[in-house]
Amino acid sequence: MKKPYILLIEDNDDDIELTRRAFAKNHIVNDIVVLRDGAEACEFLFEEKREGRSLPQFILLDLKLPKVSGLELLERIRKDERTALIPTVILTSSKQEEDRLAGYKLGVNSYVRKPVDFNEFVEAVRQVGLYWLVLNEPPPSIGEE
Amino acid sequence: MSQSSPLPAFQPDLANVLERITDGFFALDAQWNIVYMNAEARRMLHAPPVSEILGKQWLETFPMARGTAFEREYARAMRDQVPVSFVEWSRTSNCWFEVKAYPSPDGISVYFRDVTTRVEAERELERRSSQQEALIELSRAALTERPIEQLFDEVVEMLVVYLGAAAVELYTYDERTRMFRLRSSDGWGEKADARAVLPYASQAAAAIAAGGTIQTVDVRLDERFVDRGLFAELGLRAAACTLIGTPEVPQGLLAAYLTGDRAFGTADLHFLEAVAATLGEAMRAAQSSRQTREILESITDAFVACDRDLRVTYVNERMAAFYGRKREEIVGTNVREYLGYPGGEHVVAAFRSALDDDRPATFETQTPNRRWYEGRVYPWMNGVACYIRDVTRRKLDDLRIRELNTELERRVRERTLQLEAANKELESFAYSVSHDLRAPLRAIDGFSQVLEEDFGDQLNETARGYLGRIRAAARRMAELIDALLQLARIARHSMSFQDVDLSALAASVCEDLRESDPRDVIVEIEPGLRASGEPALLRAALQNLIGNAWKFTRKTPAPLIRVGRTSEGEFFVSDNGAGFDMAYAGKLFGAFQRLHSADEFEGTGIGLATVARIIHRHGGIIRAEGEVGKGATFYFTLPEETRAAS
Repeated sequence: MKKPYILLIEDNDDDIELTRRAFAKNHIVNDIVVLRDGAEACEFLFEEKREGRSLPQFILLDLKLPKVSGLELLERIRKDERTALIPTVILTSSKQEEDRLAGYKLGVNSYVRKPVDFNEFVEAVRQVGLYWLVLNEPPPSIGEE
Repeated sequence: MSQSSPLPAFQPDLANVLERITDGFFALDAQWNIVYMNAEARRMLHAPPVSEILGKQWLETFPMARGTAFEREYARAMRDQVPVSFVEWSRTSNCWFEVKAYPSPDGISVYFRDVTTRVEAERELERRSSQQEALIELSRAALTERPIEQLFDEVVEMLVVYLGAAAVELYTYDERTRMFRLRSSDGWGEKADARAVLPYASQAAAAIAAGGTIQTVDVRLDERFVDRGLFAELGLRAAACTLIGTPEVPQGLLAAYLTGDRAFGTADLHFLEAVAATLGEAMRAAQSSRQTREILESITDAFVACDRDLRVTYVNERMAAFYGRKREEIVGTNVREYLGYPGGEHVVAAFRSALDDDRPATFETQTPNRRWYEGRVYPWMNGVACYIRDVTRRKLDDLRIRELNTELERRVRERTLQLEAANKELESFAYSVSHDLRAPLRAIDGFSQVLEEDFGDQLNETARGYLGRIRAAARRMAELIDALLQLARIARHSMSFQDVDLSALAASVCEDLRESDPRDVIVEIEPGLRASGEPALLRAALQNLIGNAWKFTRKTPAPLIRVGRTSEGEFFVSDNGAGFDMAYAGKLFGAFQRLHSADEFEGTGIGLATVARIIHRHGGIIRAEGEVGKGATFYFTLPEETRAAS
């Protein structure tokens, strides 16, 4: 399956549902692959357990994840040549300074806080999707794959 | 006058010879009658002409010879029939004669010559050498530790012996009374009392004027001397006086007197001066030694001096008392004997170091009686001197303070660790709050909306209203969580104090407010409000205070907000808004305390708690005054701006 898709790494079912809905409301019809913990994400990304899928065109990453934390995962993504260039956006409830700082230091492309207000949440997802999937030109290797 | 030859027994030619020899010669018969006396003998003995003495008894002719060596020796020669020879002072002639007498069966023949010059030269030499020896002895005596009075007596005795003085006086000068006081004398008998005090205007003044020494051949006639009648009474004639000390700083006076015709020779005067000089040195040394001693005894420190072998040469009373022994028992013992306790070695080391390096050393030691001593050791007079002070009290205080400090540090460390742990907990709590509590809220809000969007047509107005309430409640809770997090963050915020322009800060905050909540509010900000603080926190404080003022003047016709400083130095933010009841003033700064309903004025109830926390973290105080419907004023203090930094 070579079809481009969004990788959502998120353990909260509610948030997964709301995120999906937000994408849908914004007419973003790309496939969304959901992984529910950090370890699963590692296997998916680095051990090729992707059931024939290519690498995602865009990763949405929650920070608080079971087993392997979002920041650890981010670090591995950036260190691994295969995944280093994939646009990765942190989408999290935390707006702790420490998290933001660590995220940017590890090379995240954006840091978006999930608003409690659903309307605002939808708007945030819309903008992120619009920017990373439409406006932003992806790095060459991913585009060619 | 008989024409017969001087002596029938003597041949004329023999007499001729005897008349020409340079020695004196006379002959006595067995009955001590003068049978012959040559011209030289008569000259030397101041004898009458031959005719008057021949056949006369020798002792009748020379009565002053009675009882002298001359009589004794001649008698011996006659009696034992042995030649005799001797040197003797002749009172008849006032000179020294060397005499040789030869016995014969019917008398003795006596040859004699004047050897005064030789004898006096010998005696002078002898006296000078003995004076030299005496001087050396005196110097030695002056250096030993003995009462100065004893030295005075020795000097007087020395002058009697080595100058042959009939009377000697030793005075010391009392500067206060300008009198010379007799300290020792000899030869005055019961008249000594009359000489007890010598006024300045006396031979003393004369000696001072002369630059040291005066002498006279007849003290009875010399007006420089006082009490001349007394000298006459005692038969004193020649006198020599010399100053002890210098004419500028006289210390005393030394005087020696002679009887008879004798006068002081140059050597005698030199001797007298040398004795006076030595004595002066000894007196100065004794004086300074006495002063030193008085100081050493008066100081509260214990004092011990020792020689290079660390043998004690001096201890003061305090030191002796410390060892519970007499001073004499300690002097001469080795300092090491007292330092045999553990820790005493470094005291010995300090003594050694002062000795070897020739510079002061210090030590601190605890003796077996558990007391602490501090000592300072100085190189001193061919040895060391040590002052020792009991510092037990100070030491115990020090130790106690150190203990307390250690304990305090330990507690601080403990508390710091606890605080750090608490902070970590708080952090992870805050993290959880910010992350985990928000997620359910988002779900509540999100799914309420989904419900409304997807199933809105199946819900009536009331149900949709409830959904709206659910969503509003969720959003409000999210706000509360954010405010709480901010409050928690303030506690952990690092404090980097800088000089802050509060006027500019307040103006900037007002600008933001005008943008987010545009209203016609008059804001008066006193220019030049400055303080020292953490800029980000002070901004947050002003945001809350001015923000409140902005909010609570919403229903006021002509809103006025003032930011300034009182004459007492308190900063303030005041408004003419809703105000509050002073009865509730105590609740203003607690978290979640609200004096207004959410309907009246929205808010989390955390803003003022945040402000209070910020002010407190700056070491300041915050208070509020208000009246319902008239407005509120918040006063707060902050550290003064540091000029150096600005």
